[in-house]
Amino acid sequence: MPRTSRTQYIYPFAAGNKDQKDLLGGKGANLAEMTNLGLPVPPGFTITTEACRSYLSGQRMPPQLGVQLTKAVRELEDDVGRDLGDPKDPLLVSVRSGAKFSMPGMMDTVLNIGLNDESVHGLAAISDDARFAWDSYRRLIQMFGDTVLDIDGRVFSRAFDAAKEAKGVESDLDLDADDLEKVVATYKDLVKEHAEQDFPQDPRTQLDLAVRAVFESWNTERARLYRRRERIPHDLGTAVNIVTMVFGNLGEGSGTGVAFTRDPATGRTGVYGDYLANAQGEDVVAGIRNTLSLEDFGELDPKSYRELRRSMRLLETHYRDLCDIEFTVERGKLWMLQTRVGKRTAAAAFRIAVQLVDEQLITIDEALQRVSGQQLAQLMFPHFDASAERQRLITGMAASPGAATG
Amino acid sequence: MIAANGILTSRGGKTSHAAVVARGMGKTCVVGAESLLIDEEARTARAGDGDFAEGDVIAIDGSTGEVFLGDVPVVPSPVARYLDEGLDAAFADADAETSELVTSVHRLLGHADDIRRLRVRTNADIGEDAARARNLGAEGVGLCRTEHMFLGDRRPLIERVILADSEDEREAAFEALRPLQRDDFVDLLEAMDGLPVTIRLLDPPLHEFLPDRTEIAVRVAVARERDEPADDDERLLAAVERLHEANPMLGLRGVRLGLVVPGLYALQVRAIAEAAVRRLRDGGEPQVEVMVPLVGSWMELRLVRDELEAVVAEVAAEHDVELRFPIGTMIELPRAALTAARIAETADFFSFGTNDLTQTTWGFSRDDVEAEFFAAYLDKGIFTVSPFETLDASGIGRLVEIATAEGRNARPALKLGVCGEHGGDPESVHFFHRVGLDYVSCSPFRVPVARLEAGRAVLEND
Repeated sequence: MPRTSRTQYIYPFAAGNKDQKDLLGGKGANLAEMTNLGLPVPPGFTITTEACRSYLSGQRMPPQLGVQLTKAVRELEDDVGRDLGDPKDPLLVSVRSGAKFSMPGMMDTVLNIGLNDESVHGLAAISDDARFAWDSYRRLIQMFGDTVLDIDGRVFSRAFDAAKEAKGVESDLDLDADDLEKVVATYKDLVKEHAEQDFPQDPRTQLDLAVRAVFESWNTERARLYRRRERIPHDLGTAVNIVTMVFGNLGEGSGTGVAFTRDPATGRTGVYGDYLANAQGEDVVAGIRNTLSLEDFGELDPKSYRELRRSMRLLETHYRDLCDIEFTVERGKLWMLQTRVGKRTAAAAFRIAVQLVDEQLITIDEALQRVSGQQLAQLMFPHFDASAERQRLITGMAASPGAATG
Repeated sequence: MIAANGILTSRGGKTSHAAVVARGMGKTCVVGAESLLIDEEARTARAGDGDFAEGDVIAIDGSTGEVFLGDVPVVPSPVARYLDEGLDAAFADADAETSELVTSVHRLLGHADDIRRLRVRTNADIGEDAARARNLGAEGVGLCRTEHMFLGDRRPLIERVILADSEDEREAAFEALRPLQRDDFVDLLEAMDGLPVTIRLLDPPLHEFLPDRTEIAVRVAVARERDEPADDDERLLAAVERLHEANPMLGLRGVRLGLVVPGLYALQVRAIAEAAVRRLRDGGEPQVEVMVPLVGSWMELRLVRDELEAVVAEVAAEHDVELRFPIGTMIELPRAALTAARIAETADFFSFGTNDLTQTTWGFSRDDVEAEFFAAYLDKGIFTVSPFETLDASGIGRLVEIATAEGRNARPALKLGVCGEHGGDPESVHFFHRVGLDYVSCSPFRVPVARLEAGRAVLEND
């Protein structure tokens, strides 16, 4: 058999670990690690950076990838007990980029793969929430149209605004299931008009196209610019994570949040984070509504909170460092969506390194390796009082740190 | 730039000269703020939706690149205070969190000091800078540039040296300069008492000390037009024209000056020797090292060394003291690196001038690279980072490795260091550790950074 046919392009989460960032990307490697720690990670698998590199070198999918993808999807379906595109109880997945080095917001992600004109009814029935189902479907078409079919995202947001205007409401939440069903119909027409093809109804086609789009997003202009600025090599490629969807927007018993095992801004000990009830991840980042502190989350949902705290402690002990975590609660059930050793300010880097020495989690040698001269230089300069009122004129290139007036 | 609180430019990048100098001086700097429109004539500027004029207050943040209108209150850095004045001073009015931060820095920097092999020295031209750097942990001066002692109100004196028509006239001009230089060296040696101080003999071409050619030419022309006497200016103009070079970086500078301008290096070494004598008399422990710049051939160093040793012996005899200075050379030309074994027979130490070594090996000048094609090279991926910011390990670094190995082979006790911007760059410090240098030297503000990175470099090798 030729060697290429034996190349393993797909790793189920249970088959990887945190030291495989080259192959599985940062997100994939850490999802694998959490899975093996027994933490509640939604089932899924990772397509390797090697598959991406192979795709980018020839602009075609490696032939074995399709076969391996079929096998991985079927195993996932067996594991979860639901089938992709099932009209009664569909499995939905997200397709997420994840390179070796974090490139926040630079590459593509598509959520809710597996919804179509039939399975949307199944989702509505199973969730007992027709509005939720149609909203999920319209988000899929919007994201898919934008990132996979290259339709200008404003085409969809304009249509969405028009729907709200027609009904005379301002908030998304004031559109009901019937309104959203109409939005879906409009979106499908827009896809046909701008992409000259129908929105694909076959879930496997959706999946294949989304994977390809994530591969290609490695080479967008802004991704290249970002890598140049951060000195990330251009030939690494990205991994793609296929993850079972869990929903934080299924009512008040659901929600989503971000948590840190220590404060990444100051280095203060003790957990730190934000939680948003009845929301999806993108809502937290967008800062649409005011978030709750972790303590408030604890009062709201003590069971999930206790499990989150237990998971955080386990992660910090395991990684022996500050971890940042994204989680979702779906109808009272906690899911860990992501973790990584968290970025931090220079001050937090020094404080946390020494705290961990005092807690005997790391040695002083390891602590020294976790701080840098660059960070020390930053700490030596005076800085502006962040609480002071100020009027920003422009932003240039930061060339020598510090704060100066005159 | 010295007078400025901070520096804001509408052009340039992180490696442009203004930025590099600002970092060296520890000044806040924001560059390439392209939407900043400066009207030099009207002495006003427009940025975003704000206008300001000369004298108006603006605030710049060198960590984020932000520019603010008006005064924004500044919070001093407790870490800088600790590094400057010690733990107690930093604790004085610090809250618990700040104290924890300062303690953390103290412990990690202390551990780096415990385990590092590289010594960290500073580049300092005057006693004040040396004292500052010593507080920040410098273990000596790796580079004192003596040309800075010829600037400011002393420029007329060096002008007299350059313009001298006779041996006597030049001698007289030197005599006027010597006590001033000597006092500078006394200050420097006192600030670094007990620690090595490497003094580099004059390096830049002499015309750098003369006024601009166009400026004098205009003065001379105006005087002629008005029939006024302009003898001094005419002499000056003749000298400027005589000394004009098409490519000063590769012209009459460094050791070449010492060899063709009689008495120049002798003057400097006499001043250094007298300063050492003064320090000995005052109960000090001066540890002078004399460094000869831009050597390309062992012969250059041999000839200069013989002259310098004679002067030192003379001063020692005059004052009846024992004086012996290690004499070494900069390695800043590819030829010097490639013939290091031969040069090491005459040198007590090498100090890699990696800035000039980068220029002379690549064959480009820093100012031209940064102004003309740095951005294009970055775009095309020829540079991933400026070779002036982080040492080009595979090219320039290879020369450093060759010179280190062959120099040590010829003279096992050869001391090896590096002076220049790279000495304070984290990645470069790790390289110098791996190659096995004895010390790095950097600007005072980079000293703590170099200490920390020298410690981290040890762990990286494990």
